[in-house]
Amino acid sequence: MSAPAVALDGVGFRRPGAAAPALEAIYLSIAAGEVVALVGPSGAGKSTLLTLLDGRLRGWTGCATTLGRALYPDRPPPRAARAETGFVFQSFALVERATARRNVLNGRLGRMPLLPSLMGRARPEDDAAASAALREVGLLDAAVTRVDRLSGGQRQRVALARCLAQEPRLILADEPVASLDPRRAREALRLLADLAISRGATLIFSSHQPALALEVATRAVALREGRIAFDGPAKELTETALEDVYGAAPRASLRLAG
Amino acid sequence: MTGRAGALASWWPGLLVAALVLWSAATLEADLSRVAAAGPRLGAFIARMAPPDLSVWPEVLDGLLETLRIAVVGTLGAILLSAILGPAAAATVSPGWIVRPARVLLALLRAVPLIIVAMLMVSAVGLGPLPGILAVLIHGTGMLAKYYAEAIDDVDPAAAAALESAGAGLLQRLRFAVWPQMAPAALRDTIFRFELNLRESLILGVVGAGGIGLHIQTYVRSFQFEKAATATLAVVAAVLLIEALNGALRRRVA
Repeated sequence: MSAPAVALDGVGFRRPGAAAPALEAIYLSIAAGEVVALVGPSGAGKSTLLTLLDGRLRGWTGCATTLGRALYPDRPPPRAARAETGFVFQSFALVERATARRNVLNGRLGRMPLLPSLMGRARPEDDAAASAALREVGLLDAAVTRVDRLSGGQRQRVALARCLAQEPRLILADEPVASLDPRRAREALRLLADLAISRGATLIFSSHQPALALEVATRAVALREGRIAFDGPAKELTETALEDVYGAAPRASLRLAG
Repeated sequence: MTGRAGALASWWPGLLVAALVLWSAATLEADLSRVAAAGPRLGAFIARMAPPDLSVWPEVLDGLLETLRIAVVGTLGAILLSAILGPAAAATVSPGWIVRPARVLLALLRAVPLIIVAMLMVSAVGLGPLPGILAVLIHGTGMLAKYYAEAIDDVDPAAAAALESAGAGLLQRLRFAVWPQMAPAALRDTIFRFELNLRESLILGVVGAGGIGLHIQTYVRSFQFEKAATATLAVVAAVLLIEALNGALRRRVA
């Protein structure tokens, strides 16, 4: 059996000066190919956990591996490891003045040789990966359009294509559809899950819309105050169980969206 | 805050300006009757300038081109120096113990007028275009490096973080996330600084730092007003030309 995509063993994290820990005693094992929804109220630690898995958090405690490689709390992972883990940012984090294609190619930088990449030269396989990713998100026609001329939904798909062009084996997505309207959010999340599954990649995404998230995911992990409050099949995370996770949150926010 | 104190707080800048104007006008001993007599004298002066003596045109053109070269080389030096001092003064890329002294240094460079820097340079390296170049370089860096620092600080760090997450190294992040975001502002500011350098270096010759200013100085001192007229007209034409070119350039990088 291959190594799990994610293995966390007693992971904790406290922000400097914070009274309560942001993450506490997290034990989690996620097998390759799973589609996992990370739910929970804001401030529960979802973003912190995803940032840690992406190797961008410093000063945490415990043991963590992704794709069979250890993460270290004091330094970022090496280039090759970073290239294997893709991240979709809530704010998309695109270079606004560059074209969609350039932004997607930026996802390949971790795999490109340094000097040619600095001169803007892409190898045939980089061009092919960028074109394939743009085609898969339906943006091949907008490849040479500058990102600041694209709509919110199109930008989201550029960000997704950049992650796909990276050819990651683990995809982390932090509130990837939070800035889209409900219909587009559902479409985008489905697309993200379908593309991850078709590539055999593991997908872990967070969402503050649990109903929508559970439509797509096979497994749900709920965080509350930095601890895992639920971990199991998505369909077992019922509204009653969600109320436990969200505490006194108004029921309306939990209701199925649309 | 009570109403009265609030009213005072909003009135004091106006009162200050009024006091400043009254004090200036009342104490300068500027005899306005002399303005009335100025018309005929000015007319006589301009009459002595006409017609401009175009025979000095080659000399004037030489001076203008020397000014242009001083501005080009001085600006280039300022760009190179700012490429180091700009990032040093940018809080998002440099630590505080470098940023603060760098900003103080740049503020000092900006505070000294170009003509005074030029006088210092003339006494340091002698007459000719070299002190002019050094003056433009030093004075221009004070502003240009500050602009570069602002352009760097305005860059959204999210895109660079995303590229780091994808495995990009530092140089790749600078090239593909930081540079594309700061380039338009940096280019616009560089063109603007070049225009200022060119305008300001027209006068450098007056203190012996090379360029067209020297000719104007010589003609006026030796009462050759027809020749001074030619040089003055050339300067006016050059400034208008620079402004038009700069406008066109800036529209292209927007």
